Amino acid sequence: MFSPAKFITAAGFFHNSAVHVALAIGGSAAVVSAIVGVFTVLRAQSFAGHALADISSAGGSAALLFGLPPLVGFLAMAMLAASGMEVVGSRQIRERDLVSGVVLGAGLGVTALFLYLDVSMTTASNAANMVMFGSMFTMAPETMIPALWVAVLALAMCVLLYRPLLLIAIDPDIAAIRGLNVRLIGLLYLLTLSIAVALSAMTIGAILSTALLIGPAATAIRWSRRPGSAMVIASVIAISATWGGIFLAYASFYWTPNHGWPVSFFIVAIIFLAYLASGRTTALARLRRAMAG
Amino acid sequence: MISWRSQAGVAALALILFFGTARCGMASGLLDAIGIENQYANIIQQIGGNFVSVTAIITNPNTDPHTFEVSPKIVSKITSASLVVENGLGYDAWANKIIEAAPSRRRKIINVQHLLGLPNSTPNPHLWYDPKAISAVAKAIAADLTTLDPAHAAFFNDRLRRFDESLRAWMAAINSFKARYPDTPVAVTEPVANYMLQALGTRIETPFSLQLAIMNGTDPSPQDIAAENALLREHKVKALVYNRQVMTPLTESFLNTAKKNGIPVVAVYETMPTPGYDFQSWMRAEIQALTKAVAMGASTESLLPASEPPPPARLF
Repeated sequence: MFSPAKFITAAGFFHNSAVHVALAIGGSAAVVSAIVGVFTVLRAQSFAGHALADISSAGGSAALLFGLPPLVGFLAMAMLAASGMEVVGSRQIRERDLVSGVVLGAGLGVTALFLYLDVSMTTASNAANMVMFGSMFTMAPETMIPALWVAVLALAMCVLLYRPLLLIAIDPDIAAIRGLNVRLIGLLYLLTLSIAVALSAMTIGAILSTALLIGPAATAIRWSRRPGSAMVIASVIAISATWGGIFLAYASFYWTPNHGWPVSFFIVAIIFLAYLASGRTTALARLRRAMAG
Repeated sequence: MISWRSQAGVAALALILFFGTARCGMASGLLDAIGIENQYANIIQQIGGNFVSVTAIITNPNTDPHTFEVSPKIVSKITSASLVVENGLGYDAWANKIIEAAPSRRRKIINVQHLLGLPNSTPNPHLWYDPKAISAVAKAIAADLTTLDPAHAAFFNDRLRRFDESLRAWMAAINSFKARYPDTPVAVTEPVANYMLQALGTRIETPFSLQLAIMNGTDPSPQDIAAENALLREHKVKALVYNRQVMTPLTESFLNTAKKNGIPVVAVYETMPTPGYDFQSWMRAEIQALTKAVAMGASTESLLPASEPPPPARLF
């Protein structure tokens, strides 16, 4: 049976190298996804984000086939898809979603092929699980430094794009009149989104990475009306969910029959619960306001 | 690569057409038999000799047989065979479905799991590493071949006797290892060779939950990963016995840790490595490799020096 006292005294959690790598890469993926996620929600591009994540799985599965680092595969495919979306993209949301959906379907089809080739031609028999749902505790320690650099690059892009992106999100026409290159900024944003998606695809899997991108941002926007503070709140939620999920997965070793549940499940569960809880608080606040008024 | 493959494919097709048509003309008395795994096919061949035409379905020692995908051609082969040997325990569940979908009174099925009376909950499906299991499989094959082709009963019995003799040599090798290196602690990545490791009297120190996670391609727990690394770093084991056919970034990192700490690694296969081996020589080669590791600290990373498999997947 799991006992917290035994758990803390045993102190294996903080001395476990697999946990260290998961905390570092997972933490950076969480912060980048949360901040980029706020832009994504404000620009109403959640579906594009999800599509990029799903398409990036084609890169992740191809990387396994050719013996390349998965981060490279995820990132290259997401960036390729992002550029493609921008080229054929339309400013009308309905048509943008249509393009995203078609490209998403094609991308996942390619993933199906590469995953088949992975398991039938190479020895990577856990490919499907690893690419789609992530495997945080099996990430190589050497991945840590490149992943952190990619995260820093994404954060720098966010700082650079902060004002123009918000202005475009509020009113693209005024932004264009003010001399902003809306398309170029849109492309740079999509490339930053690719980095966020690739990082979280590597940690919690391509399919689940939407949860990290949209969940904390959506929750934070319910709590705060200001983009800056929403980004801080989203980051806190994302980091808490990721590190909390890693801790719970570690602890589940002691109370599950097969010694441990997947860490991706715990992270996504925490994000979902936070979202539910935030809905409740705003509903309650509204109720109180109504009662006071 | 592609042109090489297509050439090989054309050559193989030509061979099949040539021998296939030749056989239709001359040998109508040949029994069509299938070993789902090539190790079982090899045993059918050894017992049936020239009176059977044996096909193996799972033959690639460079991929994981757990992830095998079936094609329509294989389905028609299995449904038209007179004798099928399958492993059971979910290892080749697809074969079972094909057999059940096309029932036939004439066809004989040997399900190794059912032959040994093992429950579905048996965690380790790699039954061919168990000497007792193989002896029972050979006996069942001889009995079924005799029923299907009674005219050659004496031949099948003679071949069974010879096969059993060769198994005694395998058992002798196992017993001599057990006597010389009793209670040897080893680490593994998967339960592939566990039945034989147990017969050899080794002590498997790797947590079974880690072996299951790697075999099933699920998320391993960090505690189990740390335990395996500690076994290697603290020299608590004499060898790391790893599954050559399932290499993930994790098993790759265990291999590197073992090498860095001077722990010899021993490759084991799920599928009989070909060409160059029959079932018995394969098993003897595995025992020799483990003996080399325990006695001299020497690693064996492949039983097939000629054709190296593609580089395994890695993360940076």
